[in-house]
Amino acid sequence: MSNAQIEIQLIASLVAIACAIPGTFLVLRKMAMISDAISHSILPGIVIGFFITQDLNSPLLILLAALTGIITVVLVEYIQKTGLVKEDTAIGLVFPILFSIGVILIAKNANDVHLDVDAVLLGELAFAPFDRLMISGVDVGPKSLWIIGSILVITIGLLIAFFKELKVSTFDAGLAASLGFSPAILHYGLMTVSSVTTVGAFDAVGAILVVALMIAPAATAYLLTTNLKRMLVYSVCFGIFSAISGYWLAHWLDASIAGSITTMLGLLFLTVYLFAPNKGIIAVLYREKQQRTEVLLITFLLHLKNHNDERERHVNHLNEHINWQKVRSKTILDLALKNNMISIGNKIVSLTEKGDEFTTQAIDYIITNEDAQIEHMKDDFFLFRG
Amino acid sequence: MKQKIAVQVDDLTVAYNYKPVLWDIDLEIPEGVLMAIVGPNGAGKSTLIKSILGILKPIAGSISVYGKPYEKQRSLVAYVPQKGSVDWDFPTTALDVVMMGTYGSLGWIKRPGQKEKKAALEALEKVGMLPFKNRQISQLSGGQQQRIFLARALVQDASIYFMDEPFQGVDASTEIAIINILKALRKAGKTVIVVHHDLQTVPEYFDWVTFLNVKKIATGPVKDIFNDDNLTKTYGINYKVSIQE
Ligand SMILES: Nc1ncnc2c1ncn2[C@@H]1O[C@H](COP(=O)(O)OP(=O)(O)OP(=O)(O)O)[C@@H](O)[C@H]1O
Ligand SMILES: [Mg+2]
Repeated sequence: MSNAQIEIQLIASLVAIACAIPGTFLVLRKMAMISDAISHSILPGIVIGFFITQDLNSPLLILLAALTGIITVVLVEYIQKTGLVKEDTAIGLVFPILFSIGVILIAKNANDVHLDVDAVLLGELAFAPFDRLMISGVDVGPKSLWIIGSILVITIGLLIAFFKELKVSTFDAGLAASLGFSPAILHYGLMTVSSVTTVGAFDAVGAILVVALMIAPAATAYLLTTNLKRMLVYSVCFGIFSAISGYWLAHWLDASIAGSITTMLGLLFLTVYLFAPNKGIIAVLYREKQQRTEVLLITFLLHLKNHNDERERHVNHLNEHINWQKVRSKTILDLALKNNMISIGNKIVSLTEKGDEFTTQAIDYIITNEDAQIEHMKDDFFLFRG
Repeated sequence: MKQKIAVQVDDLTVAYNYKPVLWDIDLEIPEGVLMAIVGPNGAGKSTLIKSILGILKPIAGSISVYGKPYEKQRSLVAYVPQKGSVDWDFPTTALDVVMMGTYGSLGWIKRPGQKEKKAALEALEKVGMLPFKNRQISQLSGGQQQRIFLARALVQDASIYFMDEPFQGVDASTEIAIINILKALRKAGKTVIVVHHDLQTVPEYFDWVTFLNVKKIATGPVKDIFNDDNLTKTYGINYKVSIQE
């Protein structure tokens, strides 16, 4: 690997971490859209900042642009407060206006500004290593690395200091307020960090990748854990993984790095969405099927318990009486047999002692409306699940 | 002997988007009562509590807790929000939610330690939820979630407790467990204010009641003011509930 390659991957990874941290809280606050709004509406801030500072990497420009991000949030909330439109509509109203102001400013001054809309939206990670930071003549590395590195250090510091405040105000803003942790301060703090990160990252990776890096890793992590700290760690790992694998994908396909990283983020989410152990689609569908079969099993056992008449319990007539198709009757019968709930003698089905006990308990729970308990019972009784 | 006033509300008006939902409320809550706030849906019960707790900014009026503004008395007050007001899919455990009750006394930045954890475990024990301490909160039943909220308030070790519909969606045994804890709090000299919907149980559970519907209709001892007249004024329709039996 060349030095430039290592630097690019390092920058991409740091951006990924810096985005994953505020991103986790944005996802939990159901504010994914706001990061999209911020990433677009900082454009006029960047352009105006550039007129003033003539340097895309100046800290002043970052602060000015971040301020535009905060203004976006304030405007969105103001419009929303009027009660005339919903939040998503308010977002849709605000950021295109700010973004287009930025576009017009660029177009009007295209000649003397080396800035174009494509670069803002997509960035160009491949060029990041060329813009070096020189301190008294010594090359200390790419400027983007220093910018995003500083932002990351601040973000981690704030996260450690205010983790409990962020957690309580995200989970229960009312409680946070009553305890004296102003949800407004935390909200705008989070918005500031998100804005600064977006601005600091956009030059290297572009606005679209910033949004993807904020939302996708956190949304993926959310599917895998029920612990906030772990969710943060997973988000960070997914971000880094996508950054590095995306870089190599781009290298291999000779494609845009930002585009490839976004693709990796999407693939990662899709994989987890399908295969996550609890919240994944396949697990959910499997559980539904299992539940359906097991409800039928209980129905079947109840039928056996209620009918002593041998005709009702004859293997060949079962499907007529209980009105099930052959395949279904067979599945259920097999499941009951495997679990030792029934025995079949002379083609007559009877409950075993275990089956009888299970059924009696199940009825009890059903009539006392404690259906949830049946799930625990299944764990005790079943050798094989449906 | 004159009773101390725990919470005093004067001329309180609260509005959402400039539309008042509470009009000119005056309310005195004496120390040591177990008080129900009753009123129809949308009457402003939750709004009243949120305003007292400084969660909402009123457009007029003032509130004091033991004679001082709420901001100075935070440590004296605990709050159980309406259950639906939080996201139960939030990635956290029962124990962690109860620990949040200790955050107020910790203040900014300081993190909870062993002492806070011990207090949270004790509170979980009191509401019978110790076995569930490591459960993710979405995997708790509605009644269990309510008990977790109650434990979180208990851990605050306050003098005044505000509870927004703690009996919402709980079964009979949980309701009894909760009311016993509330009665124990009153016995210990605490003031407990509960938004309550089941009018039948008001005389049995509470000794003080406030009728609210945008305006304050009445407030006082249950035995004096809990009658058909006030119920009718509060609920609009001609309210006849045989509460005496
Ligand atoms: N965030 C809000 N924005 C606008 N209006 C609101 C908001 N919250 C509540 N309201 C309105 O204020 C009024 C009072 O609401 P509040 O939640 O205090 O009623 P409540 O008495 O607690 O009702 P419930 O018994 O249903 O809990 C209602 O008309 C409601 O529609
Ligand atoms: Mg309410």
